[in-house]
Amino acid sequence: MDTELLERILHDVEKPARYIGGEVNMRIKAVENGKLLRFALCFPDVYEIGMSHLGSRIIYNVLNEREDTYCERSFTPWPDMEKAMRENGIPLYSLETKTPLGAFDVVGFALLYEMGYSNVLTMLELAGLPLFSAQRDETMPLVMAGGPCVCNAEPVADIFDFFVFGDGEEVMNDVMDIIAECKAAGNDRHMLLLRLAQVAGVYVPAFYRSEYKDGSFIGHTKLEEAAPDTVERRVVQDLDSAGYTGDLIVPYLNIVHDRIALEVFRGCTRGCRFCQAGYIYRPVRERKPETIIEQADSSLDCTGYDEISVFSLSSGDYSHIHELVPQILERYEHDRVSVSLPSLRIDSFLKDDLEHIQRIRKTGLTFAPEAGTQRLRDVINKGVSEDDLLRAVRDAFEAGWHGVKLYFMIGLPTETDEDVLGIAELARKVSQEFYSMPRELRGKGLRCTVSASTFVPKPFTPFQWEPQISVDEVLRRQALLRNALKGIRGVEFSCHFSETSRLEAAFARGDRRLCKVLVSAHRHGARFDSWDEHFNKPAWEEAFAENGLTVEGFANRSIGQDEALPWSVMDPIVSHEFLAEERKKAYSGQITRDCRKGCNGCFGTRAAEFCSFEGAERT
Amino acid sequence: MRLILAFTKEQNMRFVSHLDMQRLFQRAMRRAHLPLAYSQGFNPHPLLSFAAALALGTASDCEYLDVMLTEAVEPDEAMQALNKTLPQGVHVIKAVDAGDAKLSLTSLMRSAAYEVTICFDAEIGADKLCNTMDELLTGEIVVLKNTKSGIKNVDIRPMVISAHIEATGKNTAKLSLKGALTASGGLNVELFLCAYFEKLGMNGVCEVRRRSIEMDQTVIKL
Repeated sequence: MDTELLERILHDVEKPARYIGGEVNMRIKAVENGKLLRFALCFPDVYEIGMSHLGSRIIYNVLNEREDTYCERSFTPWPDMEKAMRENGIPLYSLETKTPLGAFDVVGFALLYEMGYSNVLTMLELAGLPLFSAQRDETMPLVMAGGPCVCNAEPVADIFDFFVFGDGEEVMNDVMDIIAECKAAGNDRHMLLLRLAQVAGVYVPAFYRSEYKDGSFIGHTKLEEAAPDTVERRVVQDLDSAGYTGDLIVPYLNIVHDRIALEVFRGCTRGCRFCQAGYIYRPVRERKPETIIEQADSSLDCTGYDEISVFSLSSGDYSHIHELVPQILERYEHDRVSVSLPSLRIDSFLKDDLEHIQRIRKTGLTFAPEAGTQRLRDVINKGVSEDDLLRAVRDAFEAGWHGVKLYFMIGLPTETDEDVLGIAELARKVSQEFYSMPRELRGKGLRCTVSASTFVPKPFTPFQWEPQISVDEVLRRQALLRNALKGIRGVEFSCHFSETSRLEAAFARGDRRLCKVLVSAHRHGARFDSWDEHFNKPAWEEAFAENGLTVEGFANRSIGQDEALPWSVMDPIVSHEFLAEERKKAYSGQITRDCRKGCNGCFGTRAAEFCSFEGAERT
Repeated sequence: MRLILAFTKEQNMRFVSHLDMQRLFQRAMRRAHLPLAYSQGFNPHPLLSFAAALALGTASDCEYLDVMLTEAVEPDEAMQALNKTLPQGVHVIKAVDAGDAKLSLTSLMRSAAYEVTICFDAEIGADKLCNTMDELLTGEIVVLKNTKSGIKNVDIRPMVISAHIEATGKNTAKLSLKGALTASGGLNVELFLCAYFEKLGMNGVCEVRRRSIEMDQTVIKL
């Protein structure tokens, strides 16, 4: 690696600190003797996004805890840097040792959102690696991925050698053990993949063939006897003893989540029917408050951060939340550490906690009613009422807040115009709530942002069979809402770009035919698709056309409940029957209770094996 | 207590921006358990400020930083504690108790010295290098500058105190530059180099290093 040349180009790119590494707490290992297994942990987005991902921080530490492995990081270069690297022949390299990615044993990607796929290809290409796994030879790194997108890895199945499904803390160790053994034994790649395929949670896509009939996916044919029929999701049962982030790297740049994240539990008991995370991280597993405080102590000490985020899918549901938050605030008050609670549910927090948080610093408050009417909130099993929301914002306003964000979705199954207009009605009531308070008790002026994203049906949710509404319909409903929100005092509207939501829907539920579409789009210049300013619509249109497919054919299609699903090779542990039943209940507006209040049987006969959640009665 | 630190910024750390340096020192001081004093108000922040901003990409042998602490510390001990926790490329070389001095570091600045290593795209004679520099320094040096009120023509010659160039190879040279650096502004080295390159009719790659900042030492002895 020509570091002098690299330094020269760093003078000409935006935010060069993205590309230098060397941050406090970066792991350093001796690589000269060539004995270490080299793992390049890649995030298919820019540094500030990738460094904000807790899962990658955990895997970085878990892998580096191994004496035989050195895990280094790489992120997608911003287009200015990509151009400079191409012009100067600089391959994609790791931040730790500036080693080109092609020299690693394993290149592993975190796949968090479908719109990052084109960046995976950019990174592979910059590393000088062929994009399709079948074109890479024994001298090249294994290319793998983990993260929630692995739920349906089919649209990228031809790119990767293998995937890991579920919690990474344990399976990554299993994988590295086998890679170490095979490397020592001099096994070839096929042998290695055969052995990996026998590890629970590992999916080797080349061992399955996708079958199609009349332009539809009809199932997988297993090509290797040793491969499992379905790949069971890995679940770490005890988070207190599982690996965590260790000494957190302290970035130079102001990254998106520039604070210490303390994961208080994994999973969610609420069962919102649109939410993939609510199904694929089951069951709920909590960390003990002592473990969390210990992690807070050591993280604050080694980083110098002054902010902690109490992190989970719904932090208000943590059994010990009302002890933990005051405890953290008290413990670190002298050090001026502030606490933020993202993902608070409307119905789950107490006024006291708000006042505690406010003592140090006011962070933004976000509420997610998701739908505008009670009817639709029942359909999606978002068990909050209008009263809950109004009480929550009143508490917030009384505690001195004057900025709140309200998150909604447009295009949920069964949605009518009445539901869309209901969003505006809710916003109006929030505004009234604020302005009906005595002037001296409320903050300056209300800043209420109503944000409406487009519903994307996701695998392993009760809505996995549902179509996404068409782009025209999305635009019509957005306009309807924008109009209805006009003139409401203190309320602003923001909505998501509909084209990317459609593409996300196509890739979320797509099959292997999309691999070629992805590669075509990449050749036509698609990159950073989740960034509106970079989204290249013509590139994607050409890519679908070249491959004789349409984005609508994937995104806007209703899938029959008896049809084969491309992701059925993956076993999320939550049963197919449960999801089908939940779908039925959605249509009749029936609520499913929070499973903290009693077991709903989502794991079917496997509940005893996987769910030890206290209080969950067995059915 | 008001503590003044002098530090170096080099290697890859020159790619860390001025704003990011603020956060970097704040966190390093917290890691070193220095008792930072905070501002009052809605969003309290540590009372920490730099004498001068340093352009992104420029290395420095001596930058100054000013920080308020709630308790007195031994300056040398603070320096050692910080150096244990600062990333490679940033190193504290001096720590001084500012006593009762109230004037800001910025108001004490007078000038700065720079060393620029230049690698030209083509070979160039030593005479041409020097003669062009002499020519440049004899008249106004008018450059286009982004100001609050738009792009303007500005004469930066008054900001230049001295400039000596010498050839170090067939296509390489070293420039020693001294420019004004005060609270109201300073010499923009990049603009000066652009003007010089234009007069030479050549292109090249430059590495800039700030060698020192001259301060009024009568108020605070640094």
